[in-house]
Amino acid sequence: MAALRSSTARLLGAASRPVLRAPAAPAAVRGMAQVTDGQQQNLAASADQAKLKTFQIYRWNPDTPTEKPRMQSYTLDLNKTGPMVLDALIRIKNEIDPTLTFRRSCREGICGSCAMNINGTNTLACLCRIPAEDNAEMKVYPLPHTYVVKDLVPDLTQFYKQYKSIKPYLQRDTPAEDGKEYRQSKADRKKLDGLYECILCACCSTSCPSYWWNSEEYLGPAILLQSYRWLVDSRDEKTAQRKDALNNSMSLYRCHTILNCTRTCPKGLNPGLAIAEIKRDMAFSG
Amino acid sequence: MASIARSSLLRQVASARPAFQQQNVIANAARATAFHTTARRDLLPPLPQHVEGTVNDAAPVPETSPSHGSYHWTFDRLVAGSLIPLTVVPFAAGSLNPTLDAFLCATILIHSHTGFQNIIIDYLPKYRTPRARKIFMWGLNAATAVVGLALYEFETTDVGITETIKRVWTA
Amino acid sequence: MIAQRAGTTALRRVAGKPNAFFTANVAKLGLAQSLSTTQIRPVATQKLTPADGAALLAKQRLQRPVSPHLDVYDKQQTWFGGSIWMRITGSAFSGSLYVFATAYLAAPLLGWHLESASLAASFGALPFAAKGALKFLAAWPFAFHALNGVRHLVFDMTYGIKRQTLIKSGWYVWGASMVGGLYLAFFL
Repeated sequence: MAALRSSTARLLGAASRPVLRAPAAPAAVRGMAQVTDGQQQNLAASADQAKLKTFQIYRWNPDTPTEKPRMQSYTLDLNKTGPMVLDALIRIKNEIDPTLTFRRSCREGICGSCAMNINGTNTLACLCRIPAEDNAEMKVYPLPHTYVVKDLVPDLTQFYKQYKSIKPYLQRDTPAEDGKEYRQSKADRKKLDGLYECILCACCSTSCPSYWWNSEEYLGPAILLQSYRWLVDSRDEKTAQRKDALNNSMSLYRCHTILNCTRTCPKGLNPGLAIAEIKRDMAFSG
Repeated sequence: MASIARSSLLRQVASARPAFQQQNVIANAARATAFHTTARRDLLPPLPQHVEGTVNDAAPVPETSPSHGSYHWTFDRLVAGSLIPLTVVPFAAGSLNPTLDAFLCATILIHSHTGFQNIIIDYLPKYRTPRARKIFMWGLNAATAVVGLALYEFETTDVGITETIKRVWTA
Repeated sequence: MIAQRAGTTALRRVAGKPNAFFTANVAKLGLAQSLSTTQIRPVATQKLTPADGAALLAKQRLQRPVSPHLDVYDKQQTWFGGSIWMRITGSAFSGSLYVFATAYLAAPLLGWHLESASLAASFGALPFAAKGALKFLAAWPFAFHALNGVRHLVFDMTYGIKRQTLIKSGWYVWGASMVGGLYLAFFL
């Protein structure tokens, strides 16, 4: 949006702007209000009511790899910022520091791009409200114990490779009875609730100390939740093979029910429960 | 994203430094990887990132071995669960049953052994510290054997673990 | 991004004859200069083979730092989590058992007296405060390990794994183990 807006301004040309603006009533300008307009109004109206909030953000630049990661603080006026942490980050990038790097896409908690560690817990920046009650500093880090690509962008290659290793798709040999579709009872469908909603944002996996120390071999809560999603699917016919793939000391059994995963999931899912159910189902099976 | 990656990539290509300098950069980078909010050093700092294969290859799936997986887990829970009555009964009943006491000793020993094993597996990963892993695992096996022998001695020549704790506690 | 794309398509329409090097030559067109809607970056694209690209990426990966974890993660979940204290108390007990048992085996050779009678006697000789402190130092970890062990076994039976429930049960275990430890140390 911001880019579009500025481009229209540029297209109109600098000379035409005052002409357009001067006679226009405030109501007419509203539709194409610029950030600066709001700022000037607010500044004039409430210079003393500014609600300042400081954000401490983890910075590391791959172009200068020998420099240590550092924390950089930015102060914003919450009156001019949207309610969520992502709004603040976008505003910092637009107005204060264009070099700040982070992933974002949907801004409504469905893409999982803006997963990061905010004030100590992993969550999606777009679903995390900025606490406006106090003016304590907010600390923003990339997802814990991940390799940092730049600033708040972690490398999730291993995470996705592990996701691929559990074969996250329906595996069947027998064709459908009616030749059209694989049918499922309502009760069987209900088993998938709370599992299929996972957006693979990696918040849970990177909150798990076991995954911190053993991400090479331990699959982590997110991937195990997905694993369970295919294990309980009544239409899948490779349940035994799926269980065999988990039946070793590392893939599944590095889970020690620490349950940080369940506490952190920004979508309110329960990876810890899914893992416990896999373990229970496998308890006496070879 | 893409443009950032590209510019840094170009810069790296442009500055085609001699091999020894590159080495230097990597060494420095390794030093820079520790994030310091305190002066504490990590016990097991993670290695520099290395990815096997391309990003489209699945992570390798380990071989199936229930004795290290599901059986082991179930056995662990059964041992842990049986420790509850085994610790409560002798103190609650106040009776001294040598068989029960020996059974308690053996269960505690197994519980300790698998517990230590879990710690070693967690903190000394095979791909990270293969030698230390092996040394600690065999060290643990030896220690458990020694402790088993000692507990046998203690149970047969002394008054048994329950009675000892009782005597010390009420001393 | 959108602005740039809109600008180039507009220009392309005006130029009428787009070719592969269009964007690179935009600067030379007087038309583009007068409109000046396109950003021109003095960057030359360089083609890399896939192998070279992979090698470059591998080199960049080696330089990446690991993001902070234990230092920054919510202390209540890491340092006061039931799980890590389960491990700490457990290894403290098992560790002392291993040390005691080995010492007991070596005692005849070293001339130590670690029989139950002498242990009880030496412990009984301590002042009351020291006895109580030592007992609590053993009783609290025992109570914690036992209670939290039950909690974990309940988790393993897939019960009690709900955000609010598990946070609460975690605090209950801390409280109950303190009370239990005090009881075992001073009233038994």
